[in-house]
Amino acid sequence: METFLYLTRRVLQALVVILIVTVVVFCLLHALPGGPARGILGPQATAQQIAAFNHDQGLDRSLPVQYVYYLRTLLQGDLGTSYTLNEAVSQLIEQRLPKTLVLTVLSALVGLLLAIPLGMWQAVRRNKPVDYVVTTLSFVAYATPVYFLGLVLVLVFTQWLRWFPSQAPQGETLADVFAQPGALILPVVAGAASMVAVFSRYMRAATLENLQEDYVRTARAGGSRPRAILWQHVFRNSLTPVVAMLGYYVPVLFGGALVVEQLFNYPGMGLLFWSAAQSSDYPVLLGCVLVISVATVVGTLLADVVQRIIDPRVKAGRT
Amino acid sequence: MSANILEIENLGVTFSTESGDVPAVRGVSLHVRPGETLALVGESGSGKSTVALAAMGLLPGNARASGRASVDGTDVIGAAEAELTGLRGRTVSMVFQEPATALDPLTRIGAQIAEVVRNHRPVSARDAASSAVELLDRVGIPDPERRASAYPFQLSGGQRQRVVIAMAIANAPGLLIADEPTTALDVTVQAEILDLLRALAADSGTGVLLVTHNMGVVADFADRVAVMLEGEVVETGPVEEVLLRPSHEYTKRLLGAVPRLAVAGAGGGAEPRLAAAAGGTVPQPADAKSRRGVPETTAVAGAPAEAPVVELHDVSVRFGRGPRAVRALQDVSLTLRAGETLGLVGESGSGKSTAARVALGLVQPASGSVSLFGTGLGRARGRKRRALLAGVGVVLQDPVASLDARMSVAECVAEPLRVHRRGMPAAERRARVAEVLERVRLPRELANRGPRELSGGQRQRVSLARALVLDPRLLVADEPTSALDVSVQQTVLDVIAELQAELGFACLFVSHDLAVVQQFAQRVVVMRAGRVEEEGATAATLTHPETDYTRRLIAAVPVPDPVLQRLRRTERQAALAAAGTEGRA
Repeated sequence: METFLYLTRRVLQALVVILIVTVVVFCLLHALPGGPARGILGPQATAQQIAAFNHDQGLDRSLPVQYVYYLRTLLQGDLGTSYTLNEAVSQLIEQRLPKTLVLTVLSALVGLLLAIPLGMWQAVRRNKPVDYVVTTLSFVAYATPVYFLGLVLVLVFTQWLRWFPSQAPQGETLADVFAQPGALILPVVAGAASMVAVFSRYMRAATLENLQEDYVRTARAGGSRPRAILWQHVFRNSLTPVVAMLGYYVPVLFGGALVVEQLFNYPGMGLLFWSAAQSSDYPVLLGCVLVISVATVVGTLLADVVQRIIDPRVKAGRT
Repeated sequence: MSANILEIENLGVTFSTESGDVPAVRGVSLHVRPGETLALVGESGSGKSTVALAAMGLLPGNARASGRASVDGTDVIGAAEAELTGLRGRTVSMVFQEPATALDPLTRIGAQIAEVVRNHRPVSARDAASSAVELLDRVGIPDPERRASAYPFQLSGGQRQRVVIAMAIANAPGLLIADEPTTALDVTVQAEILDLLRALAADSGTGVLLVTHNMGVVADFADRVAVMLEGEVVETGPVEEVLLRPSHEYTKRLLGAVPRLAVAGAGGGAEPRLAAAAGGTVPQPADAKSRRGVPETTAVAGAPAEAPVVELHDVSVRFGRGPRAVRALQDVSLTLRAGETLGLVGESGSGKSTAARVALGLVQPASGSVSLFGTGLGRARGRKRRALLAGVGVVLQDPVASLDARMSVAECVAEPLRVHRRGMPAAERRARVAEVLERVRLPRELANRGPRELSGGQRQRVSLARALVLDPRLLVADEPTSALDVSVQQTVLDVIAELQAELGFACLFVSHDLAVVQQFAQRVVVMRAGRVEEEGATAATLTHPETDYTRRLIAAVPVPDPVLQRLRRTERQAALAAAGTEGRA
C-alpha cells in the first residue's frame, strides 16, 4: 500500500515534469523565425500563403489556445508531420525508437557489467599497478570523442582484422537487427566505452568509501573473509549511489546514440535526429526531444524505484 | 599453554604517515585472565584503542607492530590473514564505540548475526538464523523472531549496540574486546549495556579487555586497570588500588579532573557528599563551590525587576508534517536571568538541544513565545532581530565541525564583528580579536593558524572567543565539552566560569553529563521526551530529585569509586527489579 502510494505520487510528479517539457517544446516551436509556416512552405512563400496556412492551422489564435490544441493532438499521439520525409513523426519514432532502445540498453548493460566489477577491483587494489592502468584507460576512454573512438574501432576491427562489419544491422525490424549480432558489436562497444569510464570511477569511489566504513571492521572482527565482506556488504552499499546516477545518465546515452548511429549508419532515433537537424525538420526534432525527455523522466523514476528496493532506508525516508 | 586468554608483551605500534613515522604504542605489556575484566584507560591519543586493534589483528595498513600479542596461545602479530580470520569472531571478538555505523545498513540484523555464526560453525543457513534469534533474545532484544528481520536503522542506539554484542558473543569467545562500548549511549542505556556485558562475561567465563576514558565505567565494570599515557602503560593494578589510591602522578591528575557527581549518601542521608575522594585530593575548582549554592544564585540575580535574559513560554516544536511529525518540544517553559547558569539535561532525543536552538532563533516554535532580553523574538524582524541575536553567543559540541577550516583563528573570531559591527575600523577589530583571544587564554601566535592545527581544547576556546567577541548577554553552550578529554574539559569549563564572573553573561548550558552540570550550573532543568520533567536549584534537584525519571537518570551515572559504585549498582538493580523488567533499551 505504501509502495503503491509512493508510485502514484512519483508517476504524478513525472507527469507534471513531462507537462512542463511540452510547454518548453511548444515555446521552442513558436520561437522559430517566421513560425512553422515558413519552415513548411519554404523561403519562397508569399505573405498571403503564410497567412492562409496560419489560418488553416489555427496559428493565428492566441498562444494558450494553440497550446491546448497542441496538447490535444499530442495526447492523440499526433506529433505532426515531417517536412522532408512526408511521414507522421509519431510513425517515424515508432519505427526508430525500438532500435535505439536496443542499442542504448545493450550499451548500458555492457557498460555497467564491465564498470562495476572494474571499479570494485580498482578499489580493492587501490594505488597498485592495476588501479593506475585502469584509471589511465578510463580517462583516455572518457576523453576520447565517441566519433573518434568509433573510427578507430572500424579501422582496427573492420579494415585490419576484418572481424566485424563496419555497418550496423540495416534491417527494418528488430528481428532483422538481431539476425546480425556481429554487426551490433562495434556500435555497442562504442556506446559503452564512456559509460565504462564514468561508472567505473563512480564505483571505485563508492567502494573505497564503503571499505572504510565501520561495518566492514565489524564484519572482519566477526571473522568474515575479505571476499565475502566485499560481495555481501560493500557491493550493495556501493551500488546505491551508482544506481541513483544511472537515471541522470539516460540523456547522455541518447546523445551517444546520436553519434554512434550516424557513424555506423544505424537507422534509429539518433540517425533520425541527425538527418532532421541537417534539414531543419522541426517537427521531427521536437518529437525526438519530447521522447528523450520522457525517457529521462522514466529513467530517473526507475532508478529511484530500484534504489528503494536496494536500500530499505529510502523507503522509510531515513536518508 | 598459558592460562591467560590475552597476553601482550612489549607491544610497539608505529604508524607511517606522510610526515614520518609516529610511534603510537611503546613497550606495552599486559594480560587478561579468563573471566577477568581489564580496563585500559587513558585520554585520546594515548594508544589504548591501538592496543585493542592490535590484539584483534585489525590494525590499519599503515601500522607496523612489534613485540608479542597472543590470544589463547595463538600469536596475532605477524599472523596471516587466514589465521586471523579463523580467530576473530570465535576466540576473540570485539564491540565497538559507534553502534550507529557498526552494522551494515542494508543487511537485516538477523542475517548479520547469522553470518558470524556461519563463519565458524558448519551449520545450515536455517540453523544459523535460529541461533541469531536466540542470541537476540540473550542480549535482551524484545520479540527477537520479528526483530531479526529488522534493518539497523529501525533500532535505537542501545538496541544496535545489543546487536553488535550478540555478534560478538555468537561463538562464545574466550576474549571480548570492548572499545568504548557505551560512550555513544545515554547513561541509562549505558548502565543496561554494562549490566548485559557483565552478565554475559560472568556466565561464560569470558575475559574482557575494556577500553574506555570513563572512570565511572571502569569503577563499575573492571577488576584491574591499566592506565595509558602517550603510548605507554604508566600504572597497572586492581581497580580499588588504582582508582582510590593511585600511585602515578598522571593517574592522580586524570582522576582529579573527572567531575564527580555528588550523590545523596547511601541510605538517603540528608547531606550530599562527594562520590569519591581519590586520596582526599579531589580538586574542586575554587569558584565551582561558590557557584553551586543557592544563596549565590539570588545574589547574582541582582535586581529582580530586570527582564529575564531568555524566556521560553509554553513552546512547542514539531518537525515534519502529518502523522509522522515528531513533537520535539511540548509546552516547554524556561527562564534564565542575568548572570545565571541554567543546566539543561536529559537523554538524547529529550529536546534539550532543540530548546537551546529555539532560544537562538534557529528553530521556529509551532506555538508559544520566546523572548530574548525582554523582547519577543517571534515578532522581531530584520535589523531588530539581528540586533537581538547579536546579544547571544554560542558554543557547540564538535570543535572541528563548528569552525570553518579555511579561515584562520583570527578570522573565525572576527567574523561576528564583520556581521554585526560593520562600521568597525579594521585596527579596532584586530585589537578586539586579540583581546578576546587573550581572555580565553589562547597564545597570540595561534591567531594566524587554521583551526585544524589546534588541539580539541584550543579549538573549543576559539569557539568560545568567537561567541564572546560581541560581549553577549547570553552564552548558549550545547555540550561544549562532550568531545574533549577530562583534563581539557576542566580547563575549558574554568575559562567559561572565570569569564562569566568577569563579564556577567547568563549561560544556557546543555549537557548530558550530570556531574558537569552539577558543578557548573546553579539551576537545572531536566527534560524528557520533549517536556520539562522537573526543575530547580541544582544542589537540591540532582541530589534529591522529585521524579522517578530523574532518580533513574542519576542512579545510572557510574561514579569513579568502585566501592561506592558497587553499592549504587546494587541499589539501582534492586529498584529496577522492583519496578519490573520495563525500561529495556
